[in-house]
Amino acid sequence: ARSKPHFFNFRAGSPSALRVLAAVLEGRATVNPKKGCQVDLVFTTDHYNPEVGEEHLGKCSARVFFRNQKPRPAINVTCTRLIEKNKRQEEDYLLYKHMKQLKTPLDVTSIPDSHGHIDPSLKPIWDLAFLGSSYVMWEKTTQFLHYYMAQISSVNQWKTNDDTIDFDYTVLLHEFSTQEIIPCRIHLGWYPGKPLKVKYHCQELQTPEEASGTEEGSAVAPTELNNF
Amino acid sequence: MKWILFFGALIGLSVCGREKFFGDQVFRINVRNGDEISKLSQLVNSDNLKLNVWKSPSTFSRPVDVLVPSVSLQPVKSFLKSQGLEYSVTIKDLQALLDNEDEEMQHNEGQERSSNNFNYGAYHSLEAIYREMDSIAGDFPELATRVKIGHSFENRPMYVLKFSTAEGRQRRPAVWLNAGIHSREWISQATAIWTARKIASDYGKDPAITTILEKMDIFLLPVANPDGYVYTQTQNRLWRKTRSVNPGSPCIGADPNRNWNASFAGEGASDNPCSEIYHGPHANSEVEVKSVVDFIQEHGNFKCFIDLHSYSQLLMYPYGYTVKKAPDADELDEVARRAARALASLSGTTYQVGPTCTTVYPASGSSVDWAYDHDIKYAFTFELRDTGHYGFLLPANQIIPTAEETWLGLKTIMEHVRDNLY
Repeated sequence: ARSKPHFFNFRAGSPSALRVLAAVLEGRATVNPKKGCQVDLVFTTDHYNPEVGEEHLGKCSARVFFRNQKPRPAINVTCTRLIEKNKRQEEDYLLYKHMKQLKTPLDVTSIPDSHGHIDPSLKPIWDLAFLGSSYVMWEKTTQFLHYYMAQISSVNQWKTNDDTIDFDYTVLLHEFSTQEIIPCRIHLGWYPGKPLKVKYHCQELQTPEEASGTEEGSAVAPTELNNF
Repeated sequence: MKWILFFGALIGLSVCGREKFFGDQVFRINVRNGDEISKLSQLVNSDNLKLNVWKSPSTFSRPVDVLVPSVSLQPVKSFLKSQGLEYSVTIKDLQALLDNEDEEMQHNEGQERSSNNFNYGAYHSLEAIYREMDSIAGDFPELATRVKIGHSFENRPMYVLKFSTAEGRQRRPAVWLNAGIHSREWISQATAIWTARKIASDYGKDPAITTILEKMDIFLLPVANPDGYVYTQTQNRLWRKTRSVNPGSPCIGADPNRNWNASFAGEGASDNPCSEIYHGPHANSEVEVKSVVDFIQEHGNFKCFIDLHSYSQLLMYPYGYTVKKAPDADELDEVARRAARALASLSGTTYQVGPTCTTVYPASGSSVDWAYDHDIKYAFTFELRDTGHYGFLLPANQIIPTAEETWLGLKTIMEHVRDNLY
């Protein structure tokens, strides 16, 4: 169920309208050993940013299909609207204006810091990064692997070509069943109302398919995940 | 909307000054529609009654809290009755409540002072935590002692706080509270040190912890992985394992919660030193784990083992290494459900309950499974806040709320152990 909000958030493309899983109301899974696993779900969502709005619970229904152990589940999801379209567009545009005014280079390393603190002025960056990461997390999700965004470990580039915000950052994803921390370099282009453009590269230490234990070639010592 | 106006007008009347409120009461009035709201505004707006709105409705069918001075009690009650407005008295005597609060605050200040102002609502260095443990032992010498049970790979001391009311060399049945075995789960160490101060402060005051300590000893290890913890503070905030060297590999450390002798190297662990769930070369290879194992076995009378982790908001019991049902699963499940309910009663934080293997994932070599298989029946794992929004990087302002609610869960478990000693 957690991959649904990732997919939905990416497709909606709006940092102001991010959602998180609240509760699963109904669920049914059908496993076909040859093909894969289909899951039908009804669940509720909350605002990602709890300060926003009242206690609205969006309701969603979804069908997810995992091809045998392959990532990028096929998802069909519909949700009741959490935020009115106009309000969302307005908030996105405010966010966009705020971000265009940010001084570059951005003098910031980790978001949040070690103590879980995000400076309010940096919150829009976090939200936008989360939006981009949602795409990456959805693409990587399988029946057995699911992800959370742990931290932005660096903001590499921040510029606005023409009017698009061009955001290049490194995020640390936390995969739950292996407990691994996976650094991903993400490059996204965002303009309110337009579909999000995402390019990314994740540094995998070991993938499930490589059962023999060979390590992927990498110039970075595996223990120092933060040193890119 | 009318209520916004009267709310705005009246919120200025705050109760900041040090007036007295003997016999003043707080009424919670149900307003179900606009009509009832206008009736209420009438009441609140009348000068002579001197009412004070504490909480106004943000939507219909939310109650309004109003402070009613003692002299106005009768007229207000009559008015509400005549208008058919439903209400209840939520505070019967405001002054009594304030006096209580004052007393408590002074008590807290006293505590802060004697503990060199250790801020429980913040994350601390290893040294600061160790100093605070020493401080607690110093503040409560009859109850608490700081005991060194061993050292880490990089030779840091491993300290536990022992809480005991036992006389002489009695070896009472005991509870082991384990925290910080995975170094990046900072809310675990933070909750543990808060709990330490709580146990000491509440003994003799809270009947639950007092009776628990009359029957059992409590051993609390706030930082089970000191090297890892220091590493998260200095080099890599998301480090999980120990910092031991793996011969022949560039990768450091083993997962201390896959290193215990309970289906060691079974499913749900890795033999790759670079993995976050690497089980280590053999069971108890990690000196941090061995120190605890040796201590508990030497003691021989532990009845309860609780391991604090984050995140996911789960309360689990054995087994992690197999889907087979543990012999005491039904009882453990019942206790865990009660504990989760107690925890949720504070702020509504919901925990899922179940056996480790099916609730989270298969995991072999875990502390809790080892404890259970060594006759420590009441073995539980807490995965504390949150459910992934901040994950490991839980903001410091959630430390005390987390510790306070977790305490209710811990007490529920310990009370059950107290009443079911074997």
